[in-house]
This record gives sequence, structure tokens and C-alpha cells, in this order.
Amino acid sequence: MNKRRVVSSGLHRPVRRTCGRFDLGRLVLLIGLLVFSPVFSQSAQPTPAKIPRVPGGKPDFSGIWQTTSAADYDLEPHSGRKDAPPGAGVVEGNVIPYTPQALEQKKKNFDSRTEDDPRLKCWTLGTPRGIYYPEPFQIFQRPQDLTVFFEFGDSVRTIHTDGTLHPVDQDQEFWLGDSRGHWEGDTLVVDVTDFNDQTWLSRAGDFHDEALHVVERWTLLDANTIDYKATIEDPKIFSKPWNLEVYLYRHREPNFQLIENYCYTLDYDKYYPVPKE
Amino acid sequence: MRNLALQLLIRLAIAAGGSALTAVVGHAQSAPAAPTAAATAPAQPPQGGIRFEQTTPVAGGKWTGKRLADGQPDIAGDWSNTVGNHNNFIDPQGGIPNDPQDRGRPVKPRERRAPSRVSDPPDGQLPYLPWARAKQQEFQDGFFNNTRPEYVEPLARCAPAGIPKSFYWHGYEIRQYPGYVVFLFNSGSRIIYLDNHRHLPANISLWQGDSRGHWEGNTLVVDVGNLNAKARLGRTGDFTTENVHVVERYIFDNGNKRYDYVATFTDPTAFSRPFTVTIPARRWTVDDEPNGWHYEVPLANNPGKERIGDHLERICVENNGGFGRVATSAKK
Repeated sequence: MNKRRVVSSGLHRPVRRTCGRFDLGRLVLLIGLLVFSPVFSQSAQPTPAKIPRVPGGKPDFSGIWQTTSAADYDLEPHSGRKDAPPGAGVVEGNVIPYTPQALEQKKKNFDSRTEDDPRLKCWTLGTPRGIYYPEPFQIFQRPQDLTVFFEFGDSVRTIHTDGTLHPVDQDQEFWLGDSRGHWEGDTLVVDVTDFNDQTWLSRAGDFHDEALHVVERWTLLDANTIDYKATIEDPKIFSKPWNLEVYLYRHREPNFQLIENYCYTLDYDKYYPVPKE
Repeated sequence: MRNLALQLLIRLAIAAGGSALTAVVGHAQSAPAAPTAAATAPAQPPQGGIRFEQTTPVAGGKWTGKRLADGQPDIAGDWSNTVGNHNNFIDPQGGIPNDPQDRGRPVKPRERRAPSRVSDPPDGQLPYLPWARAKQQEFQDGFFNNTRPEYVEPLARCAPAGIPKSFYWHGYEIRQYPGYVVFLFNSGSRIIYLDNHRHLPANISLWQGDSRGHWEGNTLVVDVGNLNAKARLGRTGDFTTENVHVVERYIFDNGNKRYDYVATFTDPTAFSRPFTVTIPARRWTVDDEPNGWHYEVPLANNPGKERIGDHLERICVENNGGFGRVATSAKK
């Protein structure tokens, strides 16, 4: 059984960006409390969330995770449409900074999305799309690596945390990229390089080419929530690096498990083991 | 994708039945066909080729080796079959019947070739019912004459190799975690759940099945249900049906360098009796030369530090992925 040691982490909840009159009022109140009531001010500190940890103390990401966001439908803010629920967007600054030429391609992709999205062929989703695609994935964790096992297509990504570097051959064009991670405090930082150009970043036609470079930051907010941030860089497609952020939630349903989904086999499924007459 | 054409060529070669035998020598898919695979002397030390490495069966019993924190025997790492490949299920060094190019044509008499993967019945034959035998013959005859979609083996379409073919189709990696044993095969993967839960509902059927296992000493015992039975057993047309049920025993030698895969298949729809499949395997490590069949694991980029095997992505989707990634990247 997957027993997790839960100990106090010392991790503080992320500071929420606040603006507007209401929050300003709360801030004034808080400052007042801090100034005038030193005893009370201590209890006003956020309670450190308890997160699971592996022996040795690193955060334990083991488990089955899934986003509830609409990120895969469209990363940018969008109204509801026939093929997508509405979403406030997961891109910092709301807009993906395409170069003018790439923006034209993105628009073409959007127009042909019901035919050209590689996910419809069940091709491996890539990084970061696999993470916020609305189907679960499981993380298996050892000191030397994290195995990210996607239900969609049964594809497997290894995040190496053994101190090894990207391969010398940087021209292997992986679907999921080559992932080398390290710990910065309780955050797993993963550098992902050497992609092919066959995957999209969303159903809305967001795309990249082989120069894609992704830096991920994985942080447990509490035992059942991961804050997943990714910086996306691709100088041929984007005028500058940009950031996205989604939360991932742990599946806690009793006996929940991945169910293999080799969906790219469905087109020829009927011929085996013996053709259906 | 720059390499698409090259990978497509490799895939086509494999689909045609050729390249597996080319893996007899070190750099598998870049090597010319080597029709004398079966002639390789069994006594020679394994060098990455597909040959018949005679081993004594591993006995079930106590595990005296290293254990993981959760008590499981620590058997994680890289493994590969030691006898032939997936060409011929009951005569692993017998080549593919009807091969127009005679690749892998046996040069030694049957009794000097590797035994059948079927260890029971004792005659090494699959105990097909008449209708199923006729179907197997039809699939076998159609292997080099793909006039019907079902004559194409699903693996050549990038489908998972399934059970048991995954165990003699390239090397593979085992990773272990509290509650799980995970297999990462060249084509497909498997999660073995070390719990006592029941199988998934019967109307869910899967290429790799639903696997529930437990350890008995040095033996991992796995009950496999929910199989869709779409994967073939070899290039000899051998198959099972959706009613197949498999009980696997992975018997690990305490030296942790060998294990025997012994699985009993029960499928009354196609067979007159249960049969047992035995596949010996050996461990591969960074002390072995990487090769395009058994051990597609180059050294990681870790300058001045420990030698670590690098497990790179292995994805075969519509011919677009890394198929024998080491071999393909080495060819660039």
C-alpha cells in the first residue's frame, strides 16, 4: 500500500495577489493588527500546510492527479463555445506572445482544430499539455526520478532527479522532451528540452516547434493540490518567454486507478484478435 | 519531423519481419540482416544478440537478496529475454514460416535449437481447438501476404506488444514503488497493483490487461484479467481470445541477475487445455554495451560522476516515435 508520511512542512501558502478596495481594507486591518497586537499577529500568520514527504524529507508527489481547469480547451481567456467550456485563462498576462507570423499560424490551427489537433490522432500530448489535459496521470517517485504515467496513450515521461544533464545529443526530438529536475526548497524545478514539433499546446491550436524549452515548477500546496507552473520559451514562435499556471488535484475516490487508453489503436481495434464478422 | 522518413523505413523493415534478426549483432537496426542467428553458439557469453543462452530454471523459494523499504524484493532495473525473439512462438530459433527471404532460416536441427516457449503441454505445441488452429494457420500464412487487415500484426501498427510478447520484444525496465511494480516495455507499459482489489469490471478490456500481484518469497505472482487479447504471441499467427485469463509467476534468482517468467494461460474458447509459457530473462546493467535490442540504454550525461543508464522516451505512435531510440539516434 502506498503509505505516505505526513509531517509538518513549513511550507507557506503562496501569497495571493490582491487588488481592489476590499482587499486594501483587509490589508489595513492586518497592518493594524500587526502593529497593535503582537500576540494576535502571530496567530494571523498562515498555517503551514501539511504535505506528504518521502523518507529523506523531499515532497512526495506520488499519486494520481488531474486538472479541473479549462486549460486544454484554450490557454487564453475565452467565452464558452460549442467545443469548449469558458475559461478565465491560465496564461500570465492573458495573452500568449506569438510573433506576428506565428500568430497567423495559430489562427489557422484554431480554424482547423476539429481536424488537425494531434490529440485527435491520440498522439502523445507533449509537455506541458499532458499535465493539464483532462485525463488523469499518475506520478511514481523515487529519489533518482519521477515517472509521470499518462492515462492518455499510456505514454510515460521520466523526470530525472539524479543530477544527470540533458543528453549531449540535443537533436533526438522527443514527444515529451528530455526532463532533468532539481529541488529548490520544496519546489521541483524541471528543465525540459529537445522536443519534436508534432504536438500542440491546446485544442485551440497553440503550437511550438523543435526549439521549445519548458521550465516547470511543481509545488505541493497541501496534501492534495499541486501548483504547477511552466515557463514556455520558443524564440521562433514566441516574441518572449511566457508563463502558465494550473492547479492539479489528487484523485481520492476509493480504488481510483488509471485505465490504459491506447486510443491510437482504436482505428484497427475491430480486426483483432479475430475480426468481427 | 526530420527523422520521419528514416523511422518509417525502420518501421516498415520491422513490419516486414526483417530487422529483429538484424539485432543479432550489436547495433541492431543499422546492421545488415544476419541470417545465421540460429547458428550462434549457445555457449558464448551474451553480447547483446538474440541467441539461445541456455540457463537452468530458477527455483521458487525464499528471497535472500536486497529489499526495498516496503519489503518487496528489490528487482528494479533493466531486463531482457535470453532466447530468440518474437518471430516464432513455438520454435524461437526457427525463423518465420513462409518467409520469402528465408531470414533466420534454421541451420541446426530442431533438437539443437531453443525449446518452444510453451513448456506445458510437454510437446511444446499450443493446444488449439480445431477452429482456432485453422485461424492461426490463416494468420501465419497471411503474415507475408497482408491481403486482409487482420494479417498485419498489431505490434507493427505500434500497438502494445501485450502479454506475453512484451517479454521477448526488446529489453524492458522494471521500476518498483510501495504498492506497485511498473514495467516499461519497448512498446507499451504495465502497472502491476500489489493490492487485493478485484479486477476492473469485465466489460473493460485492455491490451496489457489488469494486473493484480503479490510477492511469495522470490516470486511475484500476478493475476491478469481484462485482456483484450488483440496482441499476437509471435509472427506465427498464434493468438488467444478475450476469454483468456493469465496467471504469471516471475521467479527471481537470489543473485538478482536472472529470472524466469512462467505464465499459465487459460482460454477455453480457443484451447483444449491451459498451457504454460516459460521465458527466461537476464539483467542488463551499465557494464553491458548498449545495443538496439536488449539494452537500449545509453550512459547518461553525468560528467566525472557515477555511470548511470539513461532511460529515454520510447514512443511509437503511428510510426512517428522513437522505435529503438538508441539505434535510431545513433544512425543520425
